[in-house]
Amino acid sequence: MGEQALKLWKDWRLHVIVLAIVALTESIGTFAIPVGPGTILLLPMLYAVVIGLALYFTPLVNDKQSINAEPLVFLSVSVLIAKFGVQAGPALPQIIEAGPALLLQEFGNLGTIFLALPLAVFLGLKRESIGMTHSIGREANLALITDKYGLSSPEGRGVMAMYIFGTVFGSIFIGLISGFLATVTPLHPISFAMATGVGSGSMAAASLGPLVAAFPEMSETLTAFSGVSNLISSVTGLYMSIFVGLPLTVKMYEILSKNKEKKEKAAKGGVDYVKKP
Amino acid sequence: MLKSLKEWVLVFIIIGAIMLTGNWIGYDVLPWNALPGIAILIGISLAGLIVHRLLPFQLPSIAYIGIIGLILTIPGMPGAEQIVMYTTEVNLLAIATPILAYAGVSIGRSWFDFVQLGWKTIVIGMFVLLGTFLGSAVIAEVILRFQGII
Repeated sequence: MGEQALKLWKDWRLHVIVLAIVALTESIGTFAIPVGPGTILLLPMLYAVVIGLALYFTPLVNDKQSINAEPLVFLSVSVLIAKFGVQAGPALPQIIEAGPALLLQEFGNLGTIFLALPLAVFLGLKRESIGMTHSIGREANLALITDKYGLSSPEGRGVMAMYIFGTVFGSIFIGLISGFLATVTPLHPISFAMATGVGSGSMAAASLGPLVAAFPEMSETLTAFSGVSNLISSVTGLYMSIFVGLPLTVKMYEILSKNKEKKEKAAKGGVDYVKKP
Repeated sequence: MLKSLKEWVLVFIIIGAIMLTGNWIGYDVLPWNALPGIAILIGISLAGLIVHRLLPFQLPSIAYIGIIGLILTIPGMPGAEQIVMYTTEVNLLAIATPILAYAGVSIGRSWFDFVQLGWKTIVIGMFVLLGTFLGSAVIAEVILRFQGII
């Protein structure tokens, strides 16, 4: 935190706006929309992010507020992490018992490579897709790709696009799907709680919120598992990307794009294996 | 360090007040009932931020905050029961709403970059999130079932 961050508490306009958003959204309360067999939960926090975003385009919020809000997200997330911690202590025996699942689910974060990378290649993206799909694309991954390929490389453009996407849309999207998936799939809420440690703090909040709201009787257990999962991700996440995620993405990309070229050539009139100049 | 500390404390007081308000409006917990809980959570956050500054390891500060909270509440630790009792009064969702309100204001600046992303990026982005989230849940499910925990 630099010098400009030293006057955060003085930005009364920002704090009053956030207080007003909180008061308004909490009085609106939660709505549950049944979608087929599942439920999409609209929680106050979802309205809060949308209203906050909308206010940026009114004279109420200037760039100054928007810039100051960023470290405030971090500091308020730290309160959430503390809450995660104090829920995790009492659940420690359970957590140790579920240790293997908690550790191994980190590998599930590679799911993006198997789901999103083929799609990206199918849609015709080139090496951008490596930056886009190797991870959820938060700060640490942005740093990793920039370090390895440079920000102006195709990979760098890809991770930057995903960073922007996740920043603006990530918490909204994950907040909408988390409760829905937990109610519509046969997977246990605890499994989803372990999956909430996906990346950023606001995404963790947004994905855990609907779970707790949908399964209030399990709220303490869910929070504890979510907390430990976030803790593990915060420690191992980057190394996972460096040693597994990124190399795997590059390898998969090479295989997928080669297959695609072959298929396209075959479709163009059966001339496969034309030697490249 | 001292300057940051003062800044942190002041900011946490403001954030704490906002969380208490949301906790009151949304979850019917009177602010004075939740005050000890929020104070404890803020204390843990501060402790984590300070330890992060003091220790040489390359761990993110949230790792320290989580670990401190966890250690303090391990059954048998002196005061663990009180900490759990007080912090239970602070609803998780009441903590989450202000986070996302600040996040909303902060992402406004990225909006113009966002609208310039093509539809392909948006679709792929959703699959990145979906794949990451669902991938973890599926692996957790398989192992938990294998162990017979769920």
